[in-house]
Amino acid sequence: MDLTLLPPDITAAHSGFELAVAACADLDALMRLKGEFTGRDGSHAARMMDLLKTAPKEQKRELGAAINGLKNAWEESIKKRQSELEASKKRGTSLASSWDPDLPPPMPAHGARHPLNRLMDRLVDVFRPLGYHVEEGPETETEAHNFDGLNIPEDHPARGSADTFYFAAHEGKLLRTHTSPVQVRVLKRLAPDIEKLGGIRFLAPGRVYRKDEIDPTHSPMFHQVEGMLVGHNIGMHHLKGTLAYAMKALFGPAADVRFRPSYFPFVEPGCEVDVRCPLCGGSGCRVCKGSGWVEILGAGLVHPNVLRFAGIDPTIWSGFAFGMGVERTAMMVSQTPDLRLFFENDQRFLKAMGGLD
Amino acid sequence: MLLERRALQTELPALAGLGNVDLCELLASLGFPVDGVETKQGETILEVDITANRGDTLSQRGMARDLAAKLKAPLASLPHTQLTEGPALFPVRLEADACPIYATAILDLGANAGTPTEVVSFLASMGSNAKQLPAVDASNELLHRYGHPTHAFDADTLKGTLLVRWGREGETLRTLDGVDRKLTSNDLVIADEAGAIALAGVMGGDATKVTSDTKRVLLESAWFDPRVVRRMAHRHGLHSDASYRFGRGADPAMAKIARDLLAARLQAWAGATLKGAWTAGQIPEARPAVTLRLGTLGRIAGAPIDLAEAAAHLVQLGCSVKIQGEELCAVPPTWRHDLALEEDLAEEVLRLRGFDCIDSVLPPLEGAPLPLAPNYLQARNLAYRLAHVGFHQTVTLGFISPDADAAFAGSDNPAEGRTLGNPLGQEYSVMRASLLTSLRATAELNLRQGAKEVKLFEIGPIYRSTGNGPSEVMVLALVWTGTLGGEDYLTRARAVQAADLLGVARDLGAQGTPQVRELGEGMLALEIPLADLPAHEERIIPKFTPFSRFPALERDLSLLVDLAQPYAVLASAMTEAVGKAAGECFKGLGCVDVFRHKSLPAGRQAWLLRLRFQAGDRTLTSDEVDGWVTAALEAARTLGAELRG
Repeated sequence: MDLTLLPPDITAAHSGFELAVAACADLDALMRLKGEFTGRDGSHAARMMDLLKTAPKEQKRELGAAINGLKNAWEESIKKRQSELEASKKRGTSLASSWDPDLPPPMPAHGARHPLNRLMDRLVDVFRPLGYHVEEGPETETEAHNFDGLNIPEDHPARGSADTFYFAAHEGKLLRTHTSPVQVRVLKRLAPDIEKLGGIRFLAPGRVYRKDEIDPTHSPMFHQVEGMLVGHNIGMHHLKGTLAYAMKALFGPAADVRFRPSYFPFVEPGCEVDVRCPLCGGSGCRVCKGSGWVEILGAGLVHPNVLRFAGIDPTIWSGFAFGMGVERTAMMVSQTPDLRLFFENDQRFLKAMGGLD
Repeated sequence: MLLERRALQTELPALAGLGNVDLCELLASLGFPVDGVETKQGETILEVDITANRGDTLSQRGMARDLAAKLKAPLASLPHTQLTEGPALFPVRLEADACPIYATAILDLGANAGTPTEVVSFLASMGSNAKQLPAVDASNELLHRYGHPTHAFDADTLKGTLLVRWGREGETLRTLDGVDRKLTSNDLVIADEAGAIALAGVMGGDATKVTSDTKRVLLESAWFDPRVVRRMAHRHGLHSDASYRFGRGADPAMAKIARDLLAARLQAWAGATLKGAWTAGQIPEARPAVTLRLGTLGRIAGAPIDLAEAAAHLVQLGCSVKIQGEELCAVPPTWRHDLALEEDLAEEVLRLRGFDCIDSVLPPLEGAPLPLAPNYLQARNLAYRLAHVGFHQTVTLGFISPDADAAFAGSDNPAEGRTLGNPLGQEYSVMRASLLTSLRATAELNLRQGAKEVKLFEIGPIYRSTGNGPSEVMVLALVWTGTLGGEDYLTRARAVQAADLLGVARDLGAQGTPQVRELGEGMLALEIPLADLPAHEERIIPKFTPFSRFPALERDLSLLVDLAQPYAVLASAMTEAVGKAAGECFKGLGCVDVFRHKSLPAGRQAWLLRLRFQAGDRTLTSDEVDGWVTAALEAARTLGAELRG
């Protein structure tokens, strides 16, 4: 096919023809292209036919052959593309041949669990292999469960209305100030079967209330995870072994625990438990205030009065208990600057902090 | 509590070689974490946390004493010259057991030479301003330095016999802070013949206070029962340095000594002349001995500890100790009110040995673990599922305002029974009857923050008033609002609809049609008790139900029905008719399209219903299915539906 006889604009159009056909994403576009090249009026083909009419006689044969060749090639390509597009339309994927995988695809819905729940559930998972199950107790408690059963003396300041929320219409009913009343409930419930059970081990995550104004580090409602074990000959070394295991499971193998003496009426001995700062590994940072340690739990051996109150003989049974502030730990681990963010529930915060696991 | 490094070192010279960081570590290892260290006028001041059981460490010397036991270093001797007591110049009568000893003295004041500058500076370190009244400043200094609160009365204002007695109903006392206090029979007071002149161990009275005109002072250095002082301080909302120390247990043996030290200071600072010193009552009997068994000590420590070693530690703390066989018997010193059980002694031994010496051992598993509670698993799995379909879990406060509560509380659930007597404020006063108020507020906040779609859920208790106080019901609440889709090239944007929320509820297994509430324009919500959702499945895999491997047939019916036609009525009539005809081959009926348009006859809409059939043992034929569809259509016609042409 000798194209040199054709005007340059037509040869130029021809050189771009195959690409233009492939670029047609749907039949409409292809039909427009078809009109442009082979339509009856004004198309490249029509102009060539006009050219043929006025061409000198001796060129007519050669020129006619070239024009026909071109026209046939165009029509064939268009036909081929047309059947492709019709087939893909039938399959329902109009973009099939020109689909761009870099276009943002529709995403599955993506919500989040709350970071506090996520941390509490994680703790349950950490303690499960040690045989701990989950216990839950009501938020509305009695003084007997919240204080008496925990060896908290009658004149202890925590019992005052400055620290504890009491119900107006029900004397002695209060909002629990810690998850420790779950200890009292569980010990009382399981006491008759303790021999058969071979002791008691449980975790009690939950919400608690104290009369604190809302500020960046305080909230009148917050979460604790209580843990308790009762068995034979339980000592401080068992408490340390258990918490060392748990902190390593939670923060990684470098996590280590340190005990400091402290006092809670329901344990004796009592201690504060520090964990080697998970953020700096102990070299000192802003979170651990340079000490390399962060305080994370209160713990101790169960006070004999607590066992006795529940009807368990403290000369046979002994145990330990510990309690962790969930918000405090969550803030420390995540370096969240303000406690109120956990209760504001902005979806962006929840998505980033709680995620899906 | 504040510690001044210099004053601490005066009591325990061995601290001289210890850096501040090491001192802080040492204090923390003994159970006194340091909250802050600051330098004020050249003095290093440590702020230390003291637990409620350690009233004996609420002074420079008290803390030094505990450090001395750990370091096995001697305390400086007290600069104390014992006063010679004589006959009472003023009768003192103790009428209450809560005050077993009351040491006193009378001094004539001379020229006030002023409070020594080192004392003024020490008081400043303790956060207290010197008053330049020798009796007041000296008493204050003694309290911070040695931990024993004392008081000075203007002796010329006292009338007749001094009594330590219980208050009388109707009696009043104006305390030093100028407040008139109504007394009760639970208040322990110092009184003269005219009435109460001080709240024992808490605060002195205004009428008998020492002023710059005072010529003669009567000193009080007593010991009061900690429980009585705590209750009084609490009742009167009056928490003074004195009530703090007496309330946590002062040292009764310090009563006379503190009186002597106070008198000596007045003699030195104000040229005072001692007129007489005497004491009513006596130090209460020593606390009962506590027995620590070798076995208990070893169990608590996790390793055998020699009783001789244990005894040595306890002696360092001031106990007198005897060892008999496998038991150690310790009489605690007068300043330690917290040593009552063998566990207490064991803790002291471990504390002085260092908690770092405790081994780390996992306890043996003595019995089989109990299963995880189904309620916990149900809530946890719901949270996972909802998070995976795009909902965000919220945690909101359990108490809300009465107005907010009323919006969703039923009339059978009065707020009175759920109201707090001492809330943080009105807006936090009622334990909520529904989670929806809180979720609405949270959704609105998210919308204000520019969220296009808000999908929230909360799992938590709601409260019901009962005769016994509030009871709790665990519920799941969902709220969904805004625009759904429109963020990619395939999904069209549209408003969230009630059906979207119902679909989620059905997917979670909610039975029936839970009530969808509109909390605001286009803000849809529902609340379901967890008890109404499927319980956590105990079985790992449910019982096998056979399914058919023969092809299923679907038939669509386009029906014209009244706009007011309830779907449930039509569906149940059709289901019943087809069920009767097709038996087990009928697998269900659904509505897959609703069409409402002006082209339809007035008052009518079109429903596209899909019937599904499948047999367990054969391939169904068109003819039998046609018969069943006809039965369905007949049933629909009886309710006024007609096949759309």
